[in-house]
Amino acid sequence: MTPEDVLGRLGAPLSLRRRIAYVGVAFLGLVGAALIGVLWATEPGLPARTQVSFAVLVAIGAGWAAFGGWAITRRTPLFARDRVVAGWLGLVAWTVFTVGSMVVAPAVPAWLIVLVALLGATAAANLTHAIRTRAALLRRKSELGG
Amino acid sequence: MSDELVVVRCQLGEREAFAELVTAWHGRVERYVGRMLGRADDDVVQEVWLAVVRGLPRLRQPDRFAPWLFAIARRAVMNRLRDAYAAPEPAAPDDQPDEASAVVDRELIAGALAALPAREREVLLLFHLEDLPLDACAQICAVPVGTVKSRLNRGRRLLREELLRKGYEA
Repeated sequence: MTPEDVLGRLGAPLSLRRRIAYVGVAFLGLVGAALIGVLWATEPGLPARTQVSFAVLVAIGAGWAAFGGWAITRRTPLFARDRVVAGWLGLVAWTVFTVGSMVVAPAVPAWLIVLVALLGATAAANLTHAIRTRAALLRRKSELGG
Repeated sequence: MSDELVVVRCQLGEREAFAELVTAWHGRVERYVGRMLGRADDDVVQEVWLAVVRGLPRLRQPDRFAPWLFAIARRAVMNRLRDAYAAPEPAAPDDQPDEASAVVDRELIAGALAALPAREREVLLLFHLEDLPLDACAQICAVPVGTVKSRLNRGRRLLREELLRKGYEA
C-alpha cells in the first residue's frame, strides 16, 4: 500500500463537495421544519388534519436535519476552516429562522422569544469559538515558519 | 518542515498538507502494524489513517502527534490481537540488570519480534525501532513509565533468549 493509495481512500472523508451537500441537506431540513413548526405553534384553531400534516412535515424536515448533522459531525472531520464556515452558516440559519418567524407569526409567545434568543446566543458563541481556534492555529503556523 | 507545522496545516484544513502528512508517516505506520501483527495488513493501516483524519481536529497538542498517531495504531492493532492482549501479564516486575542491551539491534529485533508476547513486542517496537521516548511509549500504551521500563527489560530478556535460541551469540 503506497501513500497515494491511502490518500485515494481518504478522498471521501476529505471531500469538500460531500460536506457541502451534507450541510445543504441539514440546512434545508432545519429551516423547513423550523418555519412549519413556528407556523403550527402560532396559528390558533388549526383543523386536526392540518396539524397532522404539519407534524409529518416537521418530522421529515427534522429527520433530514438530523441526518445532515450526524453526517457532517460523525462521518466527516470538520477542520478549523470548516468550523468557521459552519459557524457562519449557523448564524445565517438563525437569522433566516428569526426573520421568518417574525414574518409568519402574528403574535410570538414569550417562550419562543426565549428559545430563539438562546439559539442565537449559541450560534454566535459557536462562531466566535471557531474563529478564535482558527486564529490560534494560524498564529502557531506563523510561529513555526509556515 | 516540522511535523508540528504539517499537523497544524492539516488542522486548519489545508488539503495539500494531508498528502505531506501521509507521505511522511505512512511508512512508519505500515511498519508498526506489520511488525505487531506479523504480516502486512492494508485494512488496519487504512483504519488507522481514517481514524487519524477524523480525530485530527480534536488533537490538542500538535507537537505530540507521534504518540497520538501510535496510540491510534495501537488501538487498531489491539482489535486484531485481542486474544494476545487478553493473556495475563507476568506479575513480578523484572528489575534484573539489563545484560541484553548489547544485543538490542534494529535488524535483530525486527527479525525475532514475532515470537514475543504482544505487550513486550510493542514497547520494543516503539522504543527501539520508532525511537520514541519513554513517556511517549507510556502515553501510547496507556501505562505508567515504570511499567514501560519493566516491559522493556522483560522484552529484551525474552528477545535475547529468542535470539540465542535461534543461534545468535550475545
